[in-house]
Amino acid sequence: MATSETHKVPVIANPYRPSPARITSIIDLTPQEKLFELRLIDDSARDAFDFQSGQFVELSIFGVGEAPISISSAPSKQGFIELCIRDSGDVTGAMHKKRCGDIVGLRGPFGRGFPFREMKGHDILLVAGGLGIAPLKSLINHIHDDRHEFGNVTILYGSRTPSEVLFREQFDMWKHREDFDLVLTVDQPDETWTGETGLVTKLFDKIHVDPKSTYGAICGPPVMYKYVIAEMRKKAMDVDRIYVSFERRMKCGIGKCGHCGVGHQYACIDGPVFNYWEAMNLQEAI
Amino acid sequence: MFFRVIPKHVLPDLVRGLAEQHEVVGPVAKGDVFVYAPVSDAADLRLDYDTTVLPAKRWFFPESEDLMRFRVSDNAVMEESLDTVPRVLFGLHPCDVNSLLLMDNVFLGDAPDPYYKARRDNTLIVGVSCMPNEHCFCDAWGTGETHWGFDIFLTDIGDDYYASIRSVMGADLVDRYVACRMITDEDTAAFQRRAAEFKGAFSNDLDTSQLPVLLDAKFDSDIWDRLGEKCLGCGACSMVCPTCYCFDVHDELDADQLHGVRVRTWDSCQFKQFAAVAHGQNFRDTRASRVKYRYYHKQWGYLSKFERVLCVGCGRCTRACKAQISPPRVVRALQTGVVD
Repeated sequence: MATSETHKVPVIANPYRPSPARITSIIDLTPQEKLFELRLIDDSARDAFDFQSGQFVELSIFGVGEAPISISSAPSKQGFIELCIRDSGDVTGAMHKKRCGDIVGLRGPFGRGFPFREMKGHDILLVAGGLGIAPLKSLINHIHDDRHEFGNVTILYGSRTPSEVLFREQFDMWKHREDFDLVLTVDQPDETWTGETGLVTKLFDKIHVDPKSTYGAICGPPVMYKYVIAEMRKKAMDVDRIYVSFERRMKCGIGKCGHCGVGHQYACIDGPVFNYWEAMNLQEAI
Repeated sequence: MFFRVIPKHVLPDLVRGLAEQHEVVGPVAKGDVFVYAPVSDAADLRLDYDTTVLPAKRWFFPESEDLMRFRVSDNAVMEESLDTVPRVLFGLHPCDVNSLLLMDNVFLGDAPDPYYKARRDNTLIVGVSCMPNEHCFCDAWGTGETHWGFDIFLTDIGDDYYASIRSVMGADLVDRYVACRMITDEDTAAFQRRAAEFKGAFSNDLDTSQLPVLLDAKFDSDIWDRLGEKCLGCGACSMVCPTCYCFDVHDELDADQLHGVRVRTWDSCQFKQFAAVAHGQNFRDTRASRVKYRYYHKQWGYLSKFERVLCVGCGRCTRACKAQISPPRVVRALQTGVVD
């Protein structure tokens, strides 16, 4: 019988192909975390990159691999994106060795972010723990850019130690603002610390929440969610107005590789942001 | 759909005709099992096979494939291509035809996978009817029959095949290469007898009703601990599964460390690191949680998105599992609360 020739075919419209992006700025935030500013090199890729706060990208470093990183800058900042990255694995470790001007790859944006438009016209209560401030920072900056469209905005941010507080310079400046109620707390204060101490949940005693008009957003280590949600529920906030962002192993970003399964959903396409009603109906979530 | 009757003795003509422009892959004997393999002689095709060790997915989604070649210095993609060949998968059973339709939902839906799609577009499917072996339970999901997803489907009606033809290409090939005739009412009656015989040949009466409710209501049941104690965590169930699509991607550097290949391989939710993230967190760090997830996803997660369960009842995982964990056994455990 005749044998047919194997032939190479070009791959078109490849969702696995990263777009090259240049590192345009690196800021050391803490000994473990750096803030990278990136700019997609290709004009059309840059123009097409339209995202929501809460979405993530796959950071792609050839020879090492890919890692999902949430976007820290606001969608209103055009042309550049910021990624707050902790040195905690192969890809993030390799990223920490990069210098300004180096080129890495990006895929995305992926997932479902915070319902920014729906949140407009309401009070906002944002609660972050540790690196969980990274995706919320995007939302905070976005709200900042449209500040007049929101009611009271309260930010509760807990860290383990003062040296681990991310974006501290900006937050220090914001302490004096009247349009953001920003409360920082650390578990283990040092002699320089003048803010609150203890877990972020303790701060709920100090704040006023109007349950009729407040949207909540939570991001932090997995253990934090149920305690913060319990505090929000004590304030009578609605389950479908409390939003949580989950960290899972989003590997492909497009609902195929299976790694980010959480209950019957995939964090990469159905999340990573879910409202609490959805999360309550999601096994393995909280 | 239209139909032809193809006498069995002329079927090799169809295989030879297809082989003029296609690689023909079908079931062949290998030791005391069957595998899908390229066929060079129509006589090697064993359409009387019961099942194959590996399913047909590897012809679209290989166990390992290069996604792209890259250069490290500027993070550039050097080459992005895939090997494909016009191919016919000849002799898939209904469960395996259905399994490809389930894979299509994932790989051809939103953000289509270009590697899978190129091979799918380049492959004809010729199905063939079967009789169940002791591990088959396609009757539980209704995947023992198929009405789309093939070019030609051959139902054995004795000395002839009752050929259902679904595509223009299938019609062309049948009319061009094989001496066939139009169907008669008698042929259709023979087809019906064969379908009834198939339906009557299943011995188990597995109750698959209300699985989404049971999976959620019994999420914390100790049946999962019992199953987790048995599971060896080998992942064989996923590898032989025609509908398991999870994959991993890793980079392989050339010896010069300057270039390399990004490679995709099959993965399994039964492997310990599957749901691990940075900082040592693992969302499924027990075997019980991993066994449970495989079933939870197949019978509920996938169902919630595509309105079908992600199982076709082929029985391959039952054969492959050294711990005797099988879908019927897990479903019975869910129904009764006891692992038998």
